[in-house]
Amino acid sequence: MNNIKILDTEEHAEIENKLHKQFGTDIIPGILVMRGSERLFLFTGNFDEKEINKLEKCAFIERMGIYFAKIVDDSLRLSIEGSQILKEQIKKNIFELDEKQAEEWMKGHELPIKTGSHGFIIMKHEGDFLGTGKASNEKIGNFIPKNRRLRERNSS
Amino acid sequence: MGSKRDYELKPLFLERMQKLLGKEMPAYLEILKKPIQNSIRCNTLKISPEELLSRLRNKGWEIIQPFKNHPEVMIIKNDLAPGELGRSMEHLLGYYYVQEIASMLPIFALKPKPRELVLDLAAAPGSKTSQIAAEMKNTGTIIANDVSIGRLKILASNMERCGATNSILTKKDGIALCKRLKQEGFLFDKILVDAPCSGEGTLRSSSATARMWNPKTIKSLSRLQKGLLTSALEILRPEGEIVYSTCTHAPEENEEVVDFALNEFKGIVKVEEIKLPIKCRPGLTTWLDNQYSKQLKLSCRIYPQDNDTEGFFLAKIKKIK
Repeated sequence: MNNIKILDTEEHAEIENKLHKQFGTDIIPGILVMRGSERLFLFTGNFDEKEINKLEKCAFIERMGIYFAKIVDDSLRLSIEGSQILKEQIKKNIFELDEKQAEEWMKGHELPIKTGSHGFIIMKHEGDFLGTGKASNEKIGNFIPKNRRLRERNSS
Repeated sequence: MGSKRDYELKPLFLERMQKLLGKEMPAYLEILKKPIQNSIRCNTLKISPEELLSRLRNKGWEIIQPFKNHPEVMIIKNDLAPGELGRSMEHLLGYYYVQEIASMLPIFALKPKPRELVLDLAAAPGSKTSQIAAEMKNTGTIIANDVSIGRLKILASNMERCGATNSILTKKDGIALCKRLKQEGFLFDKILVDAPCSGEGTLRSSSATARMWNPKTIKSLSRLQKGLLTSALEILRPEGEIVYSTCTHAPEENEEVVDFALNEFKGIVKVEEIKLPIKCRPGLTTWLDNQYSKQLKLSCRIYPQDNDTEGFFLAKIKKIK
């Protein structure tokens, strides 16, 4: 299918296991679709592979579901929506931001915070799940895409 | 937006609107000077209307919910800075969609349900597609199509922000897509044909519409719209429903298109009554020298002066065989 691949049961389970190790989640609620070699999309529709193949004969499929996570080395970096979809299941590697930090985070800034952990962490402010950051010794790296960033107060 | 129009309405346009509105023409011209209301639709895939309302009121926004049965629809009464609605944290997190009230009506009429198969034939930028996804609670499947790759990218971005996980986005000319879907045996429960149009109903928010308006475009759009609607009817399952909508007042793009489809599918489809939470007027059965089916009375004309919205047209068509 173009450059889109539906993950089979084994591949799906592998992603679930990785997410379980990283964030303590159990189930990915839908079909995982891979685009290229690293971007995962989540589809909750009721089309099976046969119907998708039929649809592909009709038109170019630009997207199935929504961007869910990116495979980076051997880890997974959840998108904003990925973190929101799994929010009830995420049990570990969560970093709680205060209001000011959440605002900085949503502006796309890295945060000069020593979290004591290394690797991907879920960014959260009260009930809002704000995607994934990458914790290192001195800071949390930011991956908020440009079109989802809060504007700086003085920018036009 | 200022209180004075920064564009001139073309004489032929005014003449046609006068024919449509008669003595209500002054009220129509008056409302065109008024800025459009700031309206949003709570994205219930991510947050409840109560929770969103509480958050936005805490920001100091004065909000009303105009429809008892649609608590997701909200109007912001305070003056906001240009673009402020699209820059808030709640918008960036996908908790609401900035959407004009008239543009929400086609989905109120279509009433998509969980687990249905729905086609949105001209989907970008995605306000209605994301509304469909919310009504379907992200189950079933939406095929959301658009012919332009640029518009499709905007659609993809909006679907992502709204968390519409039950959508498949395709790129193809709408008429050609219906033909191929028919060949492959697809039949849809519901279809939205929110057709490309001359946009006469959007004058309050888009002055470009007034500048670009011309009768030749209306004629060519009418041909395209007839093609889109009749192609879509071919892939509607028996008992399935289509909503045909435009944001224009031109009868050639509205009643004439539906009348054409009724003739093409005589005895197979019928126009259904639509119940909407705002004032709408019955569709026309005559325009200039043309006579349309009496069924067109069941379609809805939304004029800006009636509800302080944009202008719109919608008709719901059911396949009875």
